[in-house]
Order: sequence, then C-alpha cells, then structure tokens
Amino acid sequence: MADEEEDPAFEEENEEIGGGAEGGQGKRKRLFSKELRCMMYGFGDDQNPYTESVDILEDLVIEFITEMTHKAMSIGRQGRVQVEDIVFLIRKDPRKFARVKDLLTMNEELKRARKAFDEANYGS
Amino acid sequence: GRQAGVSAEMFAMPRGLKGSNMDGIPEVLDGNLEEPRFQESELRSQDVMGLTEGDNEASASAPPAAKRLKTDTKGKKERKPTVDAEEAQRMSTLLSAMSEEQLARYEVCRGSAFPKARVAHLMRSISGSSVSENTAIAMAGIAKVLVGEVVEEALDVCEMWGETPPLQPKHLREAVRRLKRKGLFPNSNDGKTMFF
Repeated sequence: MADEEEDPAFEEENEEIGGGAEGGQGKRKRLFSKELRCMMYGFGDDQNPYTESVDILEDLVIEFITEMTHKAMSIGRQGRVQVEDIVFLIRKDPRKFARVKDLLTMNEELKRARKAFDEANYGS
Repeated sequence: GRQAGVSAEMFAMPRGLKGSNMDGIPEVLDGNLEEPRFQESELRSQDVMGLTEGDNEASASAPPAAKRLKTDTKGKKERKPTVDAEEAQRMSTLLSAMSEEQLARYEVCRGSAFPKARVAHLMRSISGSSVSENTAIAMAGIAKVLVGEVVEEALDVCEMWGETPPLQPKHLREAVRRLKRKGLFPNSNDGKTMFF
C-alpha cells in the first residue's frame, strides 16, 4: 500500500494510485465525494467535513477496493472476482464479515419476495 | 471512549421476518444500496450519540451486545420471533430517546451508501472482467463499514488530542495507522508481526 501517512503536508498527498501527480491526488476524478460527505456526517463528523479529509477517505476506499479486487482475482477462480472470494478475504474482520453476510442474505430475501409478489400478480 | 465491542448485529431489526410476514422486508438494494431503516451497523450511530450528547442512558443495552457478536452468526438460525420483537422494541426505545440532531445524523448514517453501479464500474476497470451484482453489493457494503471504522477511530484520535471536529487529515491518517496495527485492512504482508 502506498505510504501516505508519512507525508507531513496538510494538502498534498502525492498518491500514486491514479497515476500522474497533478495536485498530488492523481488525475482521477473524485468518484465518491458526495456519498462520502454524507457518510462522514452519519458516522460522527461535522456536517461539513473538510474536503481534504473527504479526499483522503476516497483514496482509502479506492485503494481498499483495488486491493480486495486484486486479491480476489488471485484466489478461487483466477482472474474473476466472486462473492465467495470477498467473503473469504474478509473472514477475519468480524464487522465486515457480518455486514457482507447480512447484505447478501437481505438481497436473497428481497429477490424471493419480489419473485413471489410477481408470481402472485401474474396469477391473478 | 467508544464501545469497540458493540456488535454490528446489536439492533438489527426483524432479520428478514422469516415466514409469511413480508412486511418487514425492506424495499432496497437496488439503485443506491441504501440500507433499510431497520438493519445496519447500529454501533456507529450509538457512538455518534456518545459523541454529540455525552452519555446516553439509552445505550445501557450496549454491554450484552459485546458477547452477542460472537454468537450472533451462529444463533441466527435459532432466532425466535420473540427475540426479533425484543430487538424491535429496543430499537424503538432507542429511537425515541434520540434528540433531533441524533435522529438526523442517524438517518443520514443509514441512508448513505456507495452507489452499486459506480462500485461495479470501478471493480470492472480493475479486474478487466465484469462483476456480478452481488459482488458489487458486497464490496460497497464493506467499503461503508470501512469508512465507519476509520471515521470512528479518527474521532477517537481527535478527542484524544483535545481537538474538535471537523476531522482533519492528520486525524484520519493516525486512525488508519492504528487500524492497520489492529489488522483492519486486509493486508497479510503488512509486516505487523507480534514478536519484533
């Protein structure tokens, strides 16, 4: 993982994830700015979080997703990212593990409910 | 300090309400991966209450959750309707005890999510092949948990350093440092061995 914590500067990050070094953040456009702001507030930060902080979290999330994706590709069925791989990778982390299990279960139930609903409508 | 041991399952409401009762099943998981109002990592909203209002009496039900974390994934099958009803009751008690600000924050906490499509797109560009819907759902969910963990830790750091929100990059970086220590980032080659 890039060692971004060593950088003492308040503003510049010099992250290499996106390639290029304009403004230190790379050329990549901010993908999750809006959602992250909401999330930060929801999790206890100020209603208006600092943009620099939001950027740090965005970089963190993208790095996380990238690493997980790469790891998932290297296990199970190579070259593919499958749910089982993700569940396996996250097995040591109780919160994340529980959350994934929950989400997948909920999704199944929802699908089942919708299917039952549709079938009921189709019949009548 | 915060309740690090509070279970993510703590206030999980009627988990699917198995059986014929469909009312509890949330209409979510398309579009935005917004969580239903009654099933989420409540521990974070709990911590939020601790932060904004000092000690909240309603969080008295926190201790049992710590051991619930271990048994919950096993005990899920044996969960009887009465346990769900209990949790529903506790949940509504908690909600009624919240202030306006807490409710607002809680609502945003529950409703915020990473859009499934964008996550899938990102994963596709990384892997070079398409990812299933479930995969994107799982990843988006985990990413949110991650943000929560970092923000919580950062708030702890902020408090410990005698400062106030909004969180600054230094708080976040320190939080990440600590969490890496604890193994919250899936990196087996981080060299954080125990014996020197």
